[in-house]
Amino acid sequence: MSADTLIVVENVSKFYGEVLGVNRVHLSIEPGITSLVGPNGSGKTTLMNLMTGLLQPTRGTLHVLGISPHDPERFFRMVGYCTQFDSFPKGFTGFDFVYSFLRLFGHDDKESSRLAWASIARTGMEEAARRKIAGYSKGMRQRIKLAQAISHNPRVLVLDEPLNGLDPLVRAETIALFRDFAAEGRHVMISSHVLHEVDIISDQVILMSSGYVVAEGQIKSVREEIEEHPMQILIRTTRPQALAARLFEEEHVVEARIHSDGGGLLVKTTSADRFYLLLNRIAVGELDIEMVAPVDDDVNSVYGYLIGHEEATR
Amino acid sequence: MNAMWLKQLGAVIRLEIRKSFFSKRSLWIYLLALAPLGIFGGHALEVKLNRERRVEMSRQTPGVSVEKWRRIEEGATREFVVELLGPPPSSARRGSSRRVRETLRYSDGSSEFFVYLRDGVVTSTNMREGCDFGQDLIIFAGVFQFFFLRVAVFFGCVFVFINLFRGEMLDKSLHYYFLAPVRREIVVLGKYLAGLVATVVVFGTSSALQSMVMNLHYDPAVLEQYLTSGGGWRHAFSYVGVTALACAGYGSVFLASGIVLRNPLIPAVVIEIWESINGLLPSLLRKFSVIYYLKSLCPVDVPVDRSVPPPLALMALNVEPVAPFVAVLGLVAVAGALLLMASFKARRLEINYGSE
Repeated sequence: MSADTLIVVENVSKFYGEVLGVNRVHLSIEPGITSLVGPNGSGKTTLMNLMTGLLQPTRGTLHVLGISPHDPERFFRMVGYCTQFDSFPKGFTGFDFVYSFLRLFGHDDKESSRLAWASIARTGMEEAARRKIAGYSKGMRQRIKLAQAISHNPRVLVLDEPLNGLDPLVRAETIALFRDFAAEGRHVMISSHVLHEVDIISDQVILMSSGYVVAEGQIKSVREEIEEHPMQILIRTTRPQALAARLFEEEHVVEARIHSDGGGLLVKTTSADRFYLLLNRIAVGELDIEMVAPVDDDVNSVYGYLIGHEEATR
Repeated sequence: MNAMWLKQLGAVIRLEIRKSFFSKRSLWIYLLALAPLGIFGGHALEVKLNRERRVEMSRQTPGVSVEKWRRIEEGATREFVVELLGPPPSSARRGSSRRVRETLRYSDGSSEFFVYLRDGVVTSTNMREGCDFGQDLIIFAGVFQFFFLRVAVFFGCVFVFINLFRGEMLDKSLHYYFLAPVRREIVVLGKYLAGLVATVVVFGTSSALQSMVMNLHYDPAVLEQYLTSGGGWRHAFSYVGVTALACAGYGSVFLASGIVLRNPLIPAVVIEIWESINGLLPSLLRKFSVIYYLKSLCPVDVPVDRSVPPPLALMALNVEPVAPFVAVLGLVAVAGALLLMASFKARRLEINYGSE
């Protein structure tokens, strides 16, 4: 893929005095929804602030779609950033807020109004837009920030904990909005420390811990590379003992445990690909397989294997 | 500057002016700006009431004049005074029945004469002249230089211009500017111009109103003569101009301070001291100051004589006056240099609210 379509981070480090923010980060991010995952203090926000020029790297370079944050006039026409800061210019209504910063793009009054109302509508804030932001709930503030970040139709949308404070319905609508953005071939970069949320949303993940990127890519690919932890797969079948006996003939199956209800089997294998091929053969000719589901190829498990469960849930 | 930059500059100014004029925190700036109006309004009212009282006194004793009052010498008797000037329209007595102190007050309609007696014998006399333009000009110059420029405009600019960046960092809202496709130099310039418009409107209007209120007590015909042929308009416009230049100069100082330094109190105090001791500084250092140029532009000097307390005399002293065009250019140069420095610093500025 050309650098003009990627977010490229090359050997970036950021130190706050002697405190490490992020260290030696190399990334090349393709369009789609990318989640930046890690516990509080892992460096997610620092990395996002570096990507958007709010922080200067101590070392290394960053380019978004081939443009450096040092060229704000081009850069911020393509990038929208919804930060974690729950703060606004004082005395503004929701509309004033979105509209005023659109004027900085050089749009005239009419065009700024049109774009502002469009993004406000997209985030479902039309009714509250004429009210002062000071009277908004946490969820409304989050949505008006999102409206401001998407108001200029950016090709890259960076969102720091964007689902915080949203009720379940709005959360679902917002996730749909991110998916729409990604479906148009844009970048949507989301940070979150809520791992199950990331599983639902992401095309790819970047796992961070203590300022380092510990893994990146599609979550299944990342999982497959963790060889010291065999893949766990749950199989529902009426004859688990027979299936266990058959599976133990294969060298890549290291453990098979019959489920407590007697209707299933939990298998650990060092090669998921070979296991699924085998299972296909068994299902066709030998045994009745009701359901097969990987148990530990979600972000939570991967993060637990790489960082440790305590760290992952901190 | 290209068309896009001009549009963006306009957008920044629009955003900032709204914040500068209409925020609740601006209330005390309006109070600072209005304070001299209170002083001059009080002065005008006092002069007007005094004049009316003196006219009334002179009506009761029409024969009173300066020449007659001067004939009263120490040791003269009360009877002599009453015979010469007439029964006093106003007097005050105090003391016991054995030792009586008395003050007799007369007026010729413009000045007021005091005769002090003890036990019926004159001990001293005094005359208080009526207010005239000469006196008023010096009073105005004193209040303008000592209070308006050094306190009201100075601290008004501290508040408005330091808050342009530092206030937004404390409110955690500066990043919205830094995430827009605008050069940070444009943000600096736009914020500065917005602060300048706000302060010039508030303090410039105050300055113009002060000139008006100060002269309210004069007879309209006398006032018109002062305005047209006595340099009145020139004085008023000069004071408004000096106010605007003060806002431009101090504004650039505090805008830069707000970007470079975290604690706004430190630059405010240091610069106030620096400006106050300007007269004591070596010639070269004196030029790195806003008040140095402003003093040379004020239309009326505050006379420095023995009656002026040393700290005020130090502030009023204009050791090395410069030509008006040099003063204006000097101020513009100081402001320009500081804005350049502020722009340079803003380009490297990071949004790291946690450390603020």
